[in-house]
Amino acid sequence: MSSEQDHLKETDTEARFEFKKEEKSAFKADKGLTEETIRVISEDKDEPEWMLQRRLRALKQFQEMPMPTDWPGQPDLSEVDVAEIVPYIRPDVEVRGGVDDWTDLPDDIKDTFDKLGIPEAEKNALSGVGAQYESEVVYQNMQERWEEKGVVFCNMDEAVQDYEDIVREHFMTKCVPPSDNKFAALHGAVWSGGSFVYVPEDVTVEMPVQAYFRMNSEGMGQFEHTLIVAESGSEVHYIEGCSAPKYSAFNLHSGGVEVFVGEDAHVQYSTVQNWSKNTYNLNTKRAIVEKGGRMEWISGSMGSKATMLYPSSILKGRGASDNHITIAFAGEGQNIDTGAKVYHNAPNTKSTIESKSISKDGGRTNYRGLVHIADGASNSSTAVECDALMFDNESTSDTMPYMEINESTVDVAHEATVGKIGDEDIFYLQSRGLDDDDAKQMIVSGFIEPITEELPIEYAVELNRLVELEMEGSLG
Amino acid sequence: MAAQLPANLSPETVRTLSEERDEPEWLTQTRLDALEALETLDLPDVIQTPGRRWTNLEDLDFESLVDPLGAEEATERVTAEGVEVLDFETALAEHPDLVEERFGSVIDPQTNYLTALSVALFTTGTVVYVPEGVDATDVKIRTEMNGRSLFTHTLIVTEASSSVTILESIETGEEIEGNRYHSNLVEVAAGENSYVQYGSLQNLSENTYNVTLKRGRADTYASVNWIEGNIGSRLTRSDIETTLSGDSSESKIVGAFFGHDDQHFDVNARVWHEAEHTTADLVTRGVLDDRARSVYEGVQDVGREAWDTSSYQRENTLMLSDDSEADASPKLIINNHDTEASHSATVGQVDQEDLLYMTSRSIPERTARNMLVEGFFVPVLEEIAVDELREDIESLVAARLRE
Repeated sequence: MSSEQDHLKETDTEARFEFKKEEKSAFKADKGLTEETIRVISEDKDEPEWMLQRRLRALKQFQEMPMPTDWPGQPDLSEVDVAEIVPYIRPDVEVRGGVDDWTDLPDDIKDTFDKLGIPEAEKNALSGVGAQYESEVVYQNMQERWEEKGVVFCNMDEAVQDYEDIVREHFMTKCVPPSDNKFAALHGAVWSGGSFVYVPEDVTVEMPVQAYFRMNSEGMGQFEHTLIVAESGSEVHYIEGCSAPKYSAFNLHSGGVEVFVGEDAHVQYSTVQNWSKNTYNLNTKRAIVEKGGRMEWISGSMGSKATMLYPSSILKGRGASDNHITIAFAGEGQNIDTGAKVYHNAPNTKSTIESKSISKDGGRTNYRGLVHIADGASNSSTAVECDALMFDNESTSDTMPYMEINESTVDVAHEATVGKIGDEDIFYLQSRGLDDDDAKQMIVSGFIEPITEELPIEYAVELNRLVELEMEGSLG
Repeated sequence: MAAQLPANLSPETVRTLSEERDEPEWLTQTRLDALEALETLDLPDVIQTPGRRWTNLEDLDFESLVDPLGAEEATERVTAEGVEVLDFETALAEHPDLVEERFGSVIDPQTNYLTALSVALFTTGTVVYVPEGVDATDVKIRTEMNGRSLFTHTLIVTEASSSVTILESIETGEEIEGNRYHSNLVEVAAGENSYVQYGSLQNLSENTYNVTLKRGRADTYASVNWIEGNIGSRLTRSDIETTLSGDSSESKIVGAFFGHDDQHFDVNARVWHEAEHTTADLVTRGVLDDRARSVYEGVQDVGREAWDTSSYQRENTLMLSDDSEADASPKLIINNHDTEASHSATVGQVDQEDLLYMTSRSIPERTARNMLVEGFFVPVLEEIAVDELREDIESLVAARLRE
């Protein structure tokens, strides 16, 4: 390792993401997955009977479903052995559901989030912040003025108790049923923590709400559930960030995200994901969009050993629309298999997908997408654009879009390009006095700009910083 | 998924076919090996998304479709100066070594269930041999299918610095009751600096299941260009593939299809870039009417050693009916970063503004639509060097529009 990289290791960037804390938990489930484990988790959370029954049904589906192994060019999942996963760890916090004053957190947890910059982000520009440590939310805060308007932002376990009717109606029923895929079923069985966001009719939450997920323990699985219900005419922007330190054993992250976009409502969901490079990130995210509603997915996928994630939108009502903006960066040893799925199930629906990927030092990126235009979805349009940037000949970049069109009055376009980083561009920048690394850095920043400009400034800075670190090879 | 070996097929059937043609032992053995392999081989991959297979080859009832000893056909072969265009028996007699060396060298007979079935049972075949330095145009192979099933094999070998344009057409002669099966394998071995344009036109009756695999290998500086028009058949599964194995080799794949009623086209264009400075261009245009359905897969695979690759792909589908369905999956697989590659696919309907413009100039709406559909195929037709093929596709498209 060069002295420059050594130097970087000592800066706070290394400290920010890669530090580990001694495991300290109030309750830790046994490794592996049995009906008994599920009952213990549910009991520990004091859940209503219906939720326990949903968990047990999901467990059964998980056990019956095969691993996804027959997708062309998919990441290798042979290392993922659920029997080796600790599915549930309750951190040692006094107040269940998290404290609402930051200073009440145990010092080591507080220290963790301080290093990640969570309190600053809150102070700066957010309507509310939730922070999850291991399996439970440890901190939750919502500005009063939003609470007064009936906006709910709380952790998912609490929502099961306090907003039982809404949760019972929406939780893994229509949007992400456990039968969707093996890891959605796993999630349904062992889910814990996550966020619940409810925005009443015609309320606009002007500032983003944010949740941060942190895995600290070796060999654990994190399965947070996010449920967003935006009633007619409402508007909200939800941001999540995630990270985990690297251990010798693999970690599994298998979250579930369900978004209900009411009539003429607008939801933006932004993710900056930076799991450690031994984490398998097998997530299911989906939105159902009613008439005139608008869903926006913005994701930056930087970390993880392997990611399989295809956020999807079901455009259910006339005139519903969807925008996807994704960026994937795969460095050494990483395989980022990501994309977008859109189902046009009503007339006059619109979608755009913009996907950017960068592969470097043997990294693999894959865009895997599906656009489905159902019979009856007349006058629908979709445009898909994928760009891949490759640094070297050890890296791989694949594009696998699927388009199913059952309707004639449609406008469907897909375009993809791939290219190496331009020697001429680098030469030009070098001739203006930049060194090789800075030139490349600048080209990549320009390449991902369409993504960063959609994010609040703190996140844009964060994403740029992560890309910078990837470029320097100093992460994970 | 493996299909069953039809009960009416046995080694005796294959031996009978081989003996009737007085074939050498190696070919008999190749056929028998292919027959035996049927028990373990899978059908070719079809595109699958969760909950759905885009083409159901499993449903093909080979038992009732395949009648190996009842093949009836009429084949006309038009040769050009300096080129040998021979039926298989003659080729085996006159160039035994060439055929033995090249047969199965580009398409492994045991690639999948359908290729093995074809090799075991083919009764009609053509060998086109272009010696070094010969330039030939307008080689033609016209086949009329008359029986329940027909298996054919085409082998094209071009020596260094030669060139050839070939048109192969298949259509139905005598109509018969019930379903039919047609299979054609085309192998092109293009020698150094040679040029092959192979055009094919399929206009089989709409009770025919049609399966074709065309594969070429291009040596250094060689070009293998494919043109394919699919008009007829009940279901067509067509794969056109080129391996660019020599430095600076090129391939162009041009496809056109026009489906109506409940026709189903599963069209696949694939290129493997294995050497340096190779170029590929894939262009497909299709029109769908009534309940017709198309499935398109295009693959541009750039290998680790394929430095300085250029690879382009475009696919456009025009839908004339709400009951039709178009599926597309253009794939890029890039393992070398020194690559310029792009692909695009669009699906849409006849442009309403164009239509309005034309009807406002007092062209009847139906005529205007037909003109726009004919115009849609122009970019593909322009690529065709063989006049006869271009004119045939034009007139078949026009005929279908007037139906």
